[in-house]
Amino acid sequence: MTIELQRPVDDPIVIDDLERLSFRVDRRAYTDDDLAAQETTRIFDRCWLYVGHESEVPRPGSYVARDVGGRPVVMARGSDGVIRVFANSCPHRGALICSQPAGQARSFRCPYHDWTFSNRGDLVGVPIPDGYGPGFRKADFGLARHRSDGYRGFVFVTFDPEQPRTLTEYLAGATEYLDLVDDQSEVGMEVIQGAQLHGARANWKLMMENSVDIYHFRALHKRYVGYMESLGSVPPRRRGGFGRALGLGHGANELPPAAARPLAYWTPMFGAGVRPRIEATAARFVDRFGTERAQRITGTNRALLIFPNLMIIDAIAITIRKIDPIGAGQMAITSVALAPRDEDPDIRELRKSHYLTFLGPAGFATPDDIEIIESCQRGYLNRTVRYSDLSRGMDKEVPETTDELPAREFWRQWDRLMHDDDGHVEAAHRAGTQGAEPR
Amino acid sequence: MTTELAIDEAARVRLWHRVNQFLFREARLLDEWRLREWYDEMLTEDIRYSVPATDVRGGTADALGLVDDDAARLRQRIEQLLNGEVWCENPRSRTNRMVSNVEILTDRGTHLDVAANVVVHRFGHGRSDAYVGKCRLELVVDGESFRVRRRVVVLDHETLYEHGKLSIIL
Repeated sequence: MTIELQRPVDDPIVIDDLERLSFRVDRRAYTDDDLAAQETTRIFDRCWLYVGHESEVPRPGSYVARDVGGRPVVMARGSDGVIRVFANSCPHRGALICSQPAGQARSFRCPYHDWTFSNRGDLVGVPIPDGYGPGFRKADFGLARHRSDGYRGFVFVTFDPEQPRTLTEYLAGATEYLDLVDDQSEVGMEVIQGAQLHGARANWKLMMENSVDIYHFRALHKRYVGYMESLGSVPPRRRGGFGRALGLGHGANELPPAAARPLAYWTPMFGAGVRPRIEATAARFVDRFGTERAQRITGTNRALLIFPNLMIIDAIAITIRKIDPIGAGQMAITSVALAPRDEDPDIRELRKSHYLTFLGPAGFATPDDIEIIESCQRGYLNRTVRYSDLSRGMDKEVPETTDELPAREFWRQWDRLMHDDDGHVEAAHRAGTQGAEPR
Repeated sequence: MTTELAIDEAARVRLWHRVNQFLFREARLLDEWRLREWYDEMLTEDIRYSVPATDVRGGTADALGLVDDDAARLRQRIEQLLNGEVWCENPRSRTNRMVSNVEILTDRGTHLDVAANVVVHRFGHGRSDAYVGKCRLELVVDGESFRVRRRVVVLDHETLYEHGKLSIIL
């Protein structure tokens, strides 16, 4: 498959200059409609994309319908217990076979001509079947099933029939961080009901960059930082930590907590009442995992970027943030909270409360992120200023969290996929050099 | 001839009128950014202000919402909005709240359950957005007026994709 690039090869979008320690991105990457269209075919049609968490389809017959990579899909747990991802489009004439966002169903019926499909995707009912000739076989008209797989409860799909990597191979170094999230419960994690469905009038990549950018924290989020410092929190720079590139565009920041963590890291902001329970949980984690790993699971904050459009932010609460482009200049954001399924009700309330303080369209921080990336998008209208700079920490073996390594890892993969005809460059996987710039 | 029925009716109209006047004043103070006055004069000390998520719409108490402020966090929200550190509200957006369909659902003497429809138009930073919702209030009778103890705004939007954020108090 070859897609003609709309720009000459000597006019690159990403200028990654390891000699001069300079990393620049041409702002057309955020504004150009042709590039946005190419992203659909070169990135979203090729990568493994996050669909949802298995807890969202808890029982046989549970389903959710949502858009993934611009395509309407249904993630359904069949009566046989297997989670499948189908195209939400009738194989007959194309209507959505499921128009409820979530529910429980033994079968899906297309309202157009009443074709009926089992929750395993098989066509089981066609009205007036004698209208078709003898060659018509129901088996040929099941729901189109996408290749899907799960890792520690996170379900992904790929629309690329030639995707050479298994999901685990694709996730590369990111599996280490998904383990740290899923290890937080012995009985499994669950998505808390209530999705924050919001967006921004800005290019989707600005939200990806923003989500791994800790440099902006003290400047943009003064009001949140002030609030947290009033509760005894310590600013990120003084907390230490580091940024990492995890291969294939994935990246993470990892740092000691600014404040309490509802799982097993108590500070006075949670109140004395829950302290014994939280400390008992902390002790159980030490028994299960040993001191070092227990500390990493329960006492460390992390922000994980899974290329192209998933963020998992594990701090004062765990947020799963799925970011979907709507053309070059707009995006949809879906944010949900993930928590241990067996969480103590008081601690669940604390988790939700602290989630809302920071996160979501009405939190004390996220609205300013939305505002600032919309402001960037408006700033790009002045084309005289051609490049954005993302070179912080390029000179370091182990960049700080306030550096821009995860964003560079994102852009390097973006650039590879946008240039490469099959999109599956092996050189892209640098698991052996995680944490360092390519040298 | 004045029947008992007519007296009841007149009392109900007077009460409804007082509730309306209260809600209109609340809308005016919020529109005029007189947020401390609103907080000090119109809310109880145990106020709870919530906006449920647009997918579950308050259908379950266990769900995560968009806003769920107790008095302390609401006060914090107000101080942040007023001191200029909320970048998306600096400069302050202009708002216009339309309150209608006011209905007293139950009158329990010392407090009332009130339903109203609300449309909040917000203009600022080159944008114009409208938030459309149904407001459920628990009003505590306070002399000739009231104070709000519970304030839930259930948005009718399926998503806030267009709005992006909810940086004002609805």
